[in-house]
Amino acid sequence: MTLPTIEELASQLEAVSGAQEVSPDAPLQHIADVDSLDLMEWLYGFQNQYPDIPADESLFADLDDTTTLRHVYERILALVPQPAQA
Amino acid sequence: MNGFDITGWGMAVPERKVTSVELAERFGVDENWIVSRCGIRERRAVGPGQTTASLAVEAGRRALEKAGLTGGDIAHLIVATATPEQPSPATSAFVHHDLGIAGGAHDVNSECAGFIYALVSAMALIAIDPRPILLIGSDTHTLTANPADRDLSILVGDGAGAVVLQPGPENRVKAWNLGADGSCTGSLKVLAGGSRMPTTEETVRQGLHYAKINGNEIYLNAVRYTVRTVRETLESAKVDAADIDHVIPHQANIRIINSILSHTGLRQEALITNLERYGNTASASVPIALTEALDEGRIKNGDKVLLAGFGAGMTWGSILMEWGGVRK
Repeated sequence: MTLPTIEELASQLEAVSGAQEVSPDAPLQHIADVDSLDLMEWLYGFQNQYPDIPADESLFADLDDTTTLRHVYERILALVPQPAQA
Repeated sequence: MNGFDITGWGMAVPERKVTSVELAERFGVDENWIVSRCGIRERRAVGPGQTTASLAVEAGRRALEKAGLTGGDIAHLIVATATPEQPSPATSAFVHHDLGIAGGAHDVNSECAGFIYALVSAMALIAIDPRPILLIGSDTHTLTANPADRDLSILVGDGAGAVVLQPGPENRVKAWNLGADGSCTGSLKVLAGGSRMPTTEETVRQGLHYAKINGNEIYLNAVRYTVRTVRETLESAKVDAADIDHVIPHQANIRIINSILSHTGLRQEALITNLERYGNTASASVPIALTEALDEGRIKNGDKVLLAGFGAGMTWGSILMEWGGVRK
């Protein structure tokens, strides 16, 4: 499974929200034009693209004004199923 | 299987408007924040003496008049509602009495998908008993929303919509699909007032008789399940999304509706929406939008009309009809 880079995730969120720029290190709540429904719309697309990664709305459950896309990306990486050891 | 035509339609909304300007002042936000979040500029709210049943009666009476029928001609009444007149008896009993319905009556509670569920039920009923059916969706969610709950208050409005089904030679329904996922009961709920948590002074003190919404969960599930039901119905009918003339989705939130359109390939030009003026009227939203579209002459015989909805639970459903048979 090839995971998207954080830059690709940022581009996807820009496309969904219409935000001019989504910096991976900017607090999500401070990015103009990005609101919680944009995050859900982005998540819906991610779930369809990566059905094996159990990402759901809990990714954003404790979103506060310090949470960045990089934090979310780290949470996603932690959800990636590990290959079974021989 | 017997077919049917929709020969009557009608709607009723309270006179009182609750604007997004008014709600913006109440909640200390900007009107544009509300509109950009849900697409709703105003919604209607019941006043003294107005109830789920009284709105249903008004809409039902108009639908009967349009069909040229009286309550005495109706073999069965179905009322879809999630905000009943009272816990018991069913809301349909009150409506049955006021409209002088000759036949039976029952309620359907599939939350905001209630009208779609009720229409499929009516379709099955008329197939085994080809006599007229009155189907009404009516809800008063402004009464179940905590006035201090911004997330829900900006969405909900009250209203009722009704249709009369009469047996006909053609099978107008090309395909339909219903579904449910009971693992999502937490998305939108009223905790108190049922057998699981009977009403007590404590439940009222805690406000547990009010509806509570998890907006993010609803958004994801609404898009996921409505996209699924629309795709399954179109596949079953072997109809391309681009060939749908009119789509009437549950009028919940313009962001959800636009997402459903973009993920299914349904055309923006086919969308019938009145969300901006009435908000989310739950079981009434599809029949109200259908009534307005028919009254405006937007829907013509032969048009492919797709009705689709989702509700708490979760529940979802869609029906593809080829419109026709409107009688004078």
